[in-house]
Amino acid sequence: MNKELEHQFVTALENNQNIVHKVCSLYTNNRDAHNDLFQEITIQLWKAYPKFRGDSKFSTWMYRVALNTAITLYRKSKKRVRTQDYDSVIFKIKADEYDDTQERQLKLMYNAVKQLGDIEKALVFLYLEDKNYTEIAETLGITEVNARVKMNRVKNKLRTILNP
Amino acid sequence: MMDELELLKKDWQKKGKQLPKLSYDDIHKMLWKKSSSLVKWIFYISIGEFIFWIILGNIPLQGDAQLAETKYTDMIASIFEYLGYGITLFFVIKFYLNYRKISTEDSTRELMKNIIRVRKTVMTYVWISLALFASSLLVLITEMVFFEPEFSQLIERASDADNPLLVYGLFFFGVVMIIALFGGVIWLFYRLLYGILLKRLNSNYRELQKLEV
Repeated sequence: MNKELEHQFVTALENNQNIVHKVCSLYTNNRDAHNDLFQEITIQLWKAYPKFRGDSKFSTWMYRVALNTAITLYRKSKKRVRTQDYDSVIFKIKADEYDDTQERQLKLMYNAVKQLGDIEKALVFLYLEDKNYTEIAETLGITEVNARVKMNRVKNKLRTILNP
Repeated sequence: MMDELELLKKDWQKKGKQLPKLSYDDIHKMLWKKSSSLVKWIFYISIGEFIFWIILGNIPLQGDAQLAETKYTDMIASIFEYLGYGITLFFVIKFYLNYRKISTEDSTRELMKNIIRVRKTVMTYVWISLALFASSLLVLITEMVFFEPEFSQLIERASDADNPLLVYGLFFFGVVMIIALFGGVIWLFYRLLYGILLKRLNSNYRELQKLEV
């Protein structure tokens, strides 16, 4: 039974690992930290898995646990080498995909997002993942109206970062 | 701006191919790794605090055992002792129940609220224990002053002094200062420990709270 649960979980996580990688790349600045956070999220997901009833989709459930771990539970460990921040894979833009202006714009946008606070990043993340405001509000534990208000503020903040 | 964010969204959703890809075995190995989450830290520190105060509460705070006159203070001491046990039991249970409520499946705000609640429980316990400790220290000192022979001599000498009130006042002041110093050290320790540990959590929680006002 336990083995079966284990197999079920690892398979589901393997198929949905992109969500976790995206969270990691938003909240960390180097490869070690990325892996560290990925591991912590995996542990937290596994711990919570027996309670996951499947009323919601596995991926929906994952968003919540992954974000909660990144924002609240994750403790940056001290022993990590402080090398220069690397551009996480996700923030690298393939040159052939866009023309120069677009590429430049995207780079600026990604950098601007990285400068946001923890809660703001969560909002942007859920927005980029195409979640509606009901879901965003539920995940963060605020009302839908306030999620919209906050998102507008974040947009303004991004605008200020982009056009100082 | 809106267009830029839409552009970002499109790009973001195409990122899948560029992301790291972990194998089944990689993930499987992670299941048995030790968590180093904030909640775990808080759990161990809280247990440490309970143990510290239980030990401190059980250090026999009695003067000379031969003294027959201390019956009255003995009674006070045992009241303190039972009070201490009761308080500890109450807070351990409360801590356990609150701790159990912490779930990563809750909304971010709820999760933070529950973590803060656990901290507050232990914090209240620490301050009550400190107050209890200070009170029993006062009882002990009073006991010593009135019943220990050496102290009685001191009192006699103090009464002979030009200004006995000043001597008593200074003595009392000294005792209060020692207790205040003890409390101050603990307060400082907490500011430092939880300042570091909970700084991020507190500021994020405030941000969410601010939204809901």
